[in-house]
Amino acid sequence: MSEVFTATDFRRRDARDKLRGRTRYTIDRYLPGMLHAAVLRASVPSGRIIRLDVSRAARMPGVRAVVTAADAPGKIGIGIADHPLFARDLIRYDGEPLAAIAADTLVEANAALTAIDVEIEPLPAVLTMAEALAPTAPLVHPDWREHEILLAGEAREGNVAWEATVVRGDVDSAFARSDAVIVDSTFRVGRQNHVAFEARAVVASYEDGRFHIETSTQAPWTVRNATARLLGVPASQVRVTVPPVGGGFGLKFDIAIEPFAALLARASGRPVRLVNSREEEMLTCLFRENAEIRIRSAVTQEGEIVGREAVVLMDCGAYGGEQVFLTTMTAHTLGGNYRLGSVRLVSRAIYTNTAPNGAFRCCNGVYNTFALERHTDEIAAKIGMDPLLFRRRNVLGNGDLGATGQVFEGDVLGPMLDRMDTMREAAAKPPARTDGRLYGRATTVGTWFVFVGPSAATVNMNADGTATLVTSGVEIGSGSMMQALPQIVSATLGIAPGDVVVRAADTDAAGYDVGVGGGRTTVSLGAASLAAAQEVRKKLLNFASETIEASPDDLVMRNGRIEIAGAPGSGRSITEVATLAQAQIGPVSGTGAFTGSGVPAMPGCVAGHFIDAIDIPVFAVHDCEVAVDPETGHVEVLSYKVVQDVGRALNPRAVRNQIQGGVAQGLGYALHEEVTIGTNGRVCQNSFETYRVPLALDVVPVETSLYEGAPSVGPFGTKGAGEVPILNVGATVACAVANATGKRVQELPLTPPRVLELLLDLKSDLSFPHIAEAWAENLVRPHNTTG
Amino acid sequence: MPAHPNHRADRTEGTGAANTPSARSIYVARSLPAAIDALDEYGSAGAPFAGGTWIMRSPIRHEPHQPHYVAIGKIPELTAIRIDAGIVEVGAAVTHAALASALADLPEFNVLAIAAGRSANPAIRAMATIGGNLSTSGFAAADCVPALLCLEAEVEISSRGDQARIGLERFLQIRPTLEPGRLLTRVILPRRVRNTAHARLPLRKAGDYPAAIVSLAVSLDAAARVQAARIAVGSVEPVARRWQRLEAALVGRPLDPAQAAEVAIGLADEFTGRDSVELPAWYRVSVLPSLVRRAAVAALDT
Amino acid sequence: MVVNLTVNGDRRSSAADPITPLVDILREEFHLTGAKPVCREGFCGACMVLVDGAPTLSCLMPAALAEDCEIRTVEGLAVGGTLTPIQAALEDCDAVQCGMCFPGMVVTLTHLLTVEPGATRDDIRAALTGNICRCTGYERIVEAALLAVAVK
Repeated sequence: MSEVFTATDFRRRDARDKLRGRTRYTIDRYLPGMLHAAVLRASVPSGRIIRLDVSRAARMPGVRAVVTAADAPGKIGIGIADHPLFARDLIRYDGEPLAAIAADTLVEANAALTAIDVEIEPLPAVLTMAEALAPTAPLVHPDWREHEILLAGEAREGNVAWEATVVRGDVDSAFARSDAVIVDSTFRVGRQNHVAFEARAVVASYEDGRFHIETSTQAPWTVRNATARLLGVPASQVRVTVPPVGGGFGLKFDIAIEPFAALLARASGRPVRLVNSREEEMLTCLFRENAEIRIRSAVTQEGEIVGREAVVLMDCGAYGGEQVFLTTMTAHTLGGNYRLGSVRLVSRAIYTNTAPNGAFRCCNGVYNTFALERHTDEIAAKIGMDPLLFRRRNVLGNGDLGATGQVFEGDVLGPMLDRMDTMREAAAKPPARTDGRLYGRATTVGTWFVFVGPSAATVNMNADGTATLVTSGVEIGSGSMMQALPQIVSATLGIAPGDVVVRAADTDAAGYDVGVGGGRTTVSLGAASLAAAQEVRKKLLNFASETIEASPDDLVMRNGRIEIAGAPGSGRSITEVATLAQAQIGPVSGTGAFTGSGVPAMPGCVAGHFIDAIDIPVFAVHDCEVAVDPETGHVEVLSYKVVQDVGRALNPRAVRNQIQGGVAQGLGYALHEEVTIGTNGRVCQNSFETYRVPLALDVVPVETSLYEGAPSVGPFGTKGAGEVPILNVGATVACAVANATGKRVQELPLTPPRVLELLLDLKSDLSFPHIAEAWAENLVRPHNTTG
Repeated sequence: MPAHPNHRADRTEGTGAANTPSARSIYVARSLPAAIDALDEYGSAGAPFAGGTWIMRSPIRHEPHQPHYVAIGKIPELTAIRIDAGIVEVGAAVTHAALASALADLPEFNVLAIAAGRSANPAIRAMATIGGNLSTSGFAAADCVPALLCLEAEVEISSRGDQARIGLERFLQIRPTLEPGRLLTRVILPRRVRNTAHARLPLRKAGDYPAAIVSLAVSLDAAARVQAARIAVGSVEPVARRWQRLEAALVGRPLDPAQAAEVAIGLADEFTGRDSVELPAWYRVSVLPSLVRRAAVAALDT
Repeated sequence: MVVNLTVNGDRRSSAADPITPLVDILREEFHLTGAKPVCREGFCGACMVLVDGAPTLSCLMPAALAEDCEIRTVEGLAVGGTLTPIQAALEDCDAVQCGMCFPGMVVTLTHLLTVEPGATRDDIRAALTGNICRCTGYERIVEAALLAVAVK
């Protein structure tokens, strides 16, 4: 009964309407009688609310409802519940919500906001991690001890929201070895804005004692559960449905503005629309966090990494959010790629009085890979070894231990490096270079993983021979819901992928799902969908075996028929069987569920981690060539190559499109996209004029090779393919620029002024006085290696 | 302290705005006298509206709109370009795209054709006008300003019952305090045999405002020595201006790009770069010599 | 003040505030939500419509200036359910992801293929300077435009 899966370039069903402007995203939904909402936001980074009086605003023309902190008693978070919907007593970041208003028009809602009487006493703010970690720093959460703990085993204190550690082996001895050289590197990266084209948007209504939230999200169940928690109502009172989503990239993996609209809908009894302005999107983004990294390694002259230690500081902004979870990831990203004799890592999420950060495609991995690969090049230079040779000697192979002691299966990175060699050698030789620019190239490796986790699916077999797939998955543009999932179901049932209808996410219709992100859609939702389809197939074959007079084991479903294996054209059409079954035994359906098995870490090896190890590692090898203009600091990417471990490509054309798009987004991170925070605590880049994403002229065609066959528990051996392409772009560009210029690249993005600074030696080496020299002194609580 | 309105409170964007009655108006003038009369009557409550690419973005800058606008884009004489043997006259409402295309075959105006034809992006170039580019005091990165400075442009200012022609440099000085009712109506350019070039440095390949601009126009004698030079620098300081010391240094010798850049290095400290969100001030100044070299190379190529 | 205009062949009128951007009138009064107000400052191109045949940023065009204009939105390009050549090419190349930028991409490229039927790869990339795509990295879009050029 094994499925025969044939990779196909099956087209997506939603393309045609998207090309004709017919698709109704959340921002395009206008309901009869709908109100328009607006949110009053704080304009100081830190302060105490002395007075907040909405009575005059409530009497303004057109106003139907006003809500404030009193309407939302709960707090949310990962690991710790530290985040209220509205600022209560304290304001912790510029842009923090204070009140929300619904009115007949948006103009009226905005006018009413200005009639809210607020008095705020400004308080000292910490805007950088250095300020937050100063011994006498004001606390962003003076009440941090009172936050509810959601995951036991936490280490945190003051402005350290969360701390995760890995200790394996005797690092001190390794660093003391006489045959080892010590390489010490520091790195810093800024924030990155997702720039999802559809701003965060919601239309909420309140019907029959329940909230119905239509929203632009990647995680409908998170919105359901978090809204309920903030509002203090049972989660079953919240229904979330999701129209097509205009871009996610991780931005919409968390709750956003949904609860404001929900509260206002309940208060007014009318549907309420709330859409972020682009400026709100730019200023309160849930950015990829800024980070500061110190990494040291003890390496022998032969190129063996005997010891490694690192401190990673991640700015979570005013609330812990995703960064608390992401402290876990450092073990697998900065601690990834290479065999390590011994290792100790600490990853700390730091509170600052800035807008909270969030998840972004390959979160944590992008900058840790930048740091790790630049550090690797610095090691190779120090011991005089070719950097590619150094990588080849040290990349993780079959049976090797990862940082947390997990045992890796299969040789993957090594053969991928070989394949990159072949691609590089086959490429056309570049023309003579006489334009005075500096040329460089680099090859890097990267380790990511599939964020498996619970998913549910139901497949209903329809009497017309089609099937309906019901999940809480969301189509955010990647195509997983439009291509991979129907392909999986159709392959199992022997029907055309176009005959699989995929229902849009609805938490009332489908079971729990973690959300679309982390490269998990095809794997987790795919596995649940596969199981559901297999149940349908089993029922249909059992039923058909009576009428076809053959054992179910001898029957196959293919090309729209249930037929005897080896006898094409025998048996009956699936439509006939489904119709008969519906009449005789009732409609046929199947359900499926999936979650990751959970690979354990070595006992006592990790502390403060949300997962021990990674179920499905994913590897990537990138290569690029750059030219650097020595007069202006402009970096031009001349060529880009990717070898990506995809497990198995169900739809190779769609996977390649993901890689091209992910690399382009990575080029933005590497070269153009900069976020800075002013002395007033506000993000300076408030529009597309100052936040520069790559345009068509800035991007090159990415030459791609899909590496198949690495082990995976995903359905048909798949791994997530859409998340990974951005992983080592920053790393590869940075290494190539360092090679071209001979300068020590320590920061991203490599904007023209930053590169020119490097070339002109205007900048001294990065140093982080707030990272203690001795690794253990960076810990809130000593890591107890005995568990 | 009092609370500020939120990030969007003073914006009129999106839903609901379309149906709100208001006293605001846009008068679409069909003739120049009608436009001038309307501007005169509105006084300080009115302003001309040309391409609109700056005015329509007021909400993003948190600037209120004027109560009344007088749209000048449909006035035939302001959208015309006249090319004579001796001069070129450009109506204030000529778009960047129209200007670039009209100048395509006139090599002596290469600097302006590039300025108008490479600024911003194609759709903006089809809307944004030359008059708007010159009249917007707050826009330091305007491409056409330095280009016109090195072409010795004059501008015609019209008001009820009056019309005056002044040099562009003078206009840039009086621009912030130009009285209501006065409208820049034409740009007048003398025609001369000269080599011109526009070197602009966006941060991406294209599509953003240049970090710095060097516009250059030189007349060469029979021995290929520089007889006269006009060089203007845009986007580096709040207002574009000529680089007269560099002009003087180039006269009398052959235009040598490397040498010109060398001279520029010594003279660049006369500029005080403007600091902004997208760039540190020092950067705008430090790329000037290289832009001078590029402009010289391009000028010799025309 | 009432503005009269023609949208996708239909005579329409709007009583909106004269400085209201055209994109808001199209979306909120005429329910043509194809044009997307993404940046509202002319950099992203997602709100592009044809005004008297020219690709125009509808976020930067006030209602008052649309008077008597012939406006064609992305919804009005494919006549009778048949995709235009560029729409068909974008579908064939599997170029679409989240789709928010495509209404603008389609309008810009429709115009480009009309005025530059022999557009090269570089022409196409330059023409897209004002159309941002955050998903695709542009390559498939450029490929599709080249396919449409070749098919013509």
